[in-house]
Amino acid sequence: MTAIDLSIRAAAAEIELIGVTKSYDAKNTIIPPIDVTLRPGEFTVVLGPSGCGKSTLLQMIAGLERVSGGRIVIGGREVQDLEPKHRGCAMVFQNYALYPHMTVAENMAYSLKVAGVSKAARAERVAKVAKMLGLADFLERKPSQLSGGQRQRVAIGRAIIREPGVLLFDEPLSNLDAQLRHDMRVELAELHRRIGATSIFVTHDQVEAMTLADRILILNKGRIEQFDTPKVIYHNPASVFVAKFIGSPPMNILDVTGDGSVLRLADGQVVASYAGKGNFQLGIRPEDIAVNDGGSIKTEIRYREDLGSHEILETKIADQNLRIAMPFGVEIDTGQALSLSFPQARLHLFERETGRAISGAFGDAKSQSAAAKEYQ
Amino acid sequence: MSSESSLFSHRWLPALLLAPLMLLIVLFFYVPVFQAFYWSFFLEQPFGGGSEFVGLQNFQRVLSDPEFWGATGRTVIFMLTASSLAVVVPLMLAVAADRKIGMSYPARNILVWPKGIAGASIGVVFAFIFNPFVGLMAPLNVLFPGLWNPGIDGTDAFVTLVAAHVWSGIPFNFVILLAGLRSIPPTMYQAAAMDGAGPWRRIFDVQLPLIMPQLFLTFVLEFTESITSVFALIDTITGGGPGGSTTLLVYKIYVDGFRGFDLSGASTQTAILMVFVLLLAACQFFFLGRRINYER
Amino acid sequence: MVENARSINIAAGILLAIGILYIVGPLYLTLSTASQSYEYMLRNGLAWVPGTEFFANIEKVIHDTRIPIQMLNSMIVAFSNALATCVLSFLSAYAIVYFRIRWAGVVFALILATIMLPLDIRVITTYQVAANIFSPLNAVLDFTGLNTLIASVFGSPVQLELSVLDTHFGLVAPLVAHGTGTFLFRQFFMTLPKDLFKAARMDGAGPIRFLIDILLPLARTSFASLFVLTFLSGWTQYLWPLVGASTPDMQTAVVGLARLVPDADGQVPDFPMIMAGAVLVSLVPLTMIALLQRFLVQGLVLSEK
Repeated sequence: MTAIDLSIRAAAAEIELIGVTKSYDAKNTIIPPIDVTLRPGEFTVVLGPSGCGKSTLLQMIAGLERVSGGRIVIGGREVQDLEPKHRGCAMVFQNYALYPHMTVAENMAYSLKVAGVSKAARAERVAKVAKMLGLADFLERKPSQLSGGQRQRVAIGRAIIREPGVLLFDEPLSNLDAQLRHDMRVELAELHRRIGATSIFVTHDQVEAMTLADRILILNKGRIEQFDTPKVIYHNPASVFVAKFIGSPPMNILDVTGDGSVLRLADGQVVASYAGKGNFQLGIRPEDIAVNDGGSIKTEIRYREDLGSHEILETKIADQNLRIAMPFGVEIDTGQALSLSFPQARLHLFERETGRAISGAFGDAKSQSAAAKEYQ
Repeated sequence: MSSESSLFSHRWLPALLLAPLMLLIVLFFYVPVFQAFYWSFFLEQPFGGGSEFVGLQNFQRVLSDPEFWGATGRTVIFMLTASSLAVVVPLMLAVAADRKIGMSYPARNILVWPKGIAGASIGVVFAFIFNPFVGLMAPLNVLFPGLWNPGIDGTDAFVTLVAAHVWSGIPFNFVILLAGLRSIPPTMYQAAAMDGAGPWRRIFDVQLPLIMPQLFLTFVLEFTESITSVFALIDTITGGGPGGSTTLLVYKIYVDGFRGFDLSGASTQTAILMVFVLLLAACQFFFLGRRINYER
Repeated sequence: MVENARSINIAAGILLAIGILYIVGPLYLTLSTASQSYEYMLRNGLAWVPGTEFFANIEKVIHDTRIPIQMLNSMIVAFSNALATCVLSFLSAYAIVYFRIRWAGVVFALILATIMLPLDIRVITTYQVAANIFSPLNAVLDFTGLNTLIASVFGSPVQLELSVLDTHFGLVAPLVAHGTGTFLFRQFFMTLPKDLFKAARMDGAGPIRFLIDILLPLARTSFASLFVLTFLSGWTQYLWPLVGASTPDMQTAVVGLARLVPDADGQVPDFPMIMAGAVLVSLVPLTMIALLQRFLVQGLVLSEK
């Protein structure tokens, strides 16, 4: 391979949010004070349902929204009162937001033009970025003459051309079809490796979060539910909210009561042994449930979904929905009785009141988290 | 929207951008509007002889003048007839032009031509065409003497005005209503067709109900338009006659103010006309507008 | 769709034919009469067939009337009206939509209210303002008592006087004092994606750059629509130019045309010559419609939404 000039490379900056908050009026708080530090060069995915404040957070970092309080520090500089152009951030927008009247080259070079970069230098940088993104043949086209994927690349190109210390992504893949979304994910990961800018990627798609992120920041009603690596988030969710949000199908959550030795369902069936007393929520992922393995929990199949590679069985225990993922080829029919067991090491326990995880409730879960920690 | 704080914040630039237009609007809109009301309480001497506060005397004088009531009555009659026709005729044409037939292409082009022809110009033309001696009706007048003479018969003059007004009003209303019709999604027709509604029926069951917003808007604008733009037509076709039978309020104000130099009277009538126009618009919005807003 | 729409299509065709006839008929009669001689018209009345005198009649209009110079006036008025409306409306809509100003809603309402009361209604008092555009200032000085103060210091009160009657500026300015353009541009700005503005800000564009580099090129069609609309409106004005200009050389062509018809009854007017004048006066706007119809239709639709 010929040596491509990789000089599009950013000086990644650390981002610190200190007590950053956003509210539109006294009653309407979008984001209560938030404290978080993103390491230089880290790829952070901000994940949450719509309306959780993730876009607002991103726009405050970009300077498109004013903070109601707190400080934003990028690369050691306090920026919360600076205009967007002085913050060293670039952004990729959800609907690309390309200038329809400018060519691809003009779109990408516009920020340089505003900054007063000479024409020759602009052309050089455009050529470099275009080559990197495979856009070299389209430079003279208008956005309307491009496919969705190409427009996405132009939007990325215009963001990275300035070699920003911080790259912000506002649900950039949500308008693409499934195949293209996958391809762009791969490309984005690759690009991040090469450019190295501190990146913040806002999405509601857990697959994007799991595949792209160094760390995932899960936001719920403006509050941070958990901020950790994808592995920890998956295997050790810090709350019921996180547990339900990650995984497809999501983790089963069952109301249980502890009597000091075992956990029981509402109908009295024992599902696990645990020394605590009180009301809890028990979590188990559909793929972790052992079926017809001599287990003691009885149920029957209500509905069966064949997904080719595996099957999802819908059941109910103690009037609560329970999903089970089975490998392909298991002979089971609707209406058939099942006996289940929940492997102790795969269980998650949450306080019923707060939804917070009780860490180390079942000894083995800890080792998962330890393994995940090593990854960092 | 929530992104309000991402707007430009600048102290004097927006004021600077707004200043030229605002200056013109204040000077040539708000000051005259204010002055019309102000003067309606003063008796103004025509040749700069000073003015004197007279309270409601001007209103008493105007409101007890039978000519004022005559002009007001004719204005209302004209408003009702001319503006109804000026909406209904373009509506029928728009429904017809919305169909994919050979005639609709030239029609869409030709029907906007009147927009380029001044009311006064078409007034001059209509005055000629409806001239009793050399115009369209001249041969009939020879056969039946006195059948048509807008110079003597007030009704004939009034009809000529209405015809000219409708002619002038076709482009705007046609374009708006056609745009409304074209924005109806085709699936709506398909659904109606599946429900068994034929093309005639769909006009009343689908098209008309769905362009109610546009229809309402054309009516609102047309009411004001018919009251004001008729001046050019009156001045060129009838001159307010015969015998004042086509003297509408807007023409009477002009005559009183610029020929009779009765500034106070003209201002008072202007004030009354303004209140009338504003009330009319307000009524239409409150009583009609409320019922016909569909979410699409 | 598979359906029998014959009857409705025939009816629609007939209706449109009548509509076209209604529009074109008077125009045709104008043209055909304009091409006949006065004597022909006296003998036969209105001309159904074109004659040969068209250019003779046009020449009569050009030589015997003030229509040529009045057409120049119309051109100036219509063009300045269109240009000024486009520029001022664009700037004010820009300020209202893209700046954080507390009174944006009030300002917009004030601008929009101008649509409710057309110039023709308030012509009497607008005329008075145009006769001395400083009269509001004088009144304010009088009313606040500042003038008494000034009079006691300088010996006489301030009474500025400047009439814009019989000037092109005076013919145009009251037409520009109108909210449709601002409304139209505001509507257009609202249809632009919000992210476009944010992207430009991320790219470092300030208010002026955003205006010139992004908004202006994108608004080209809106400009064209508004320009056509206001040009036509300026050209076809009647009442304001009638009172705003008192000398024939300052009047607009439409007013001049109306003045060709003698006020007094008696002799039948020279209708062929007048019709030739009508043709001449309508030539510019009709050409404009023929060439720029797309923008006109778009403008009409946009100004309504």
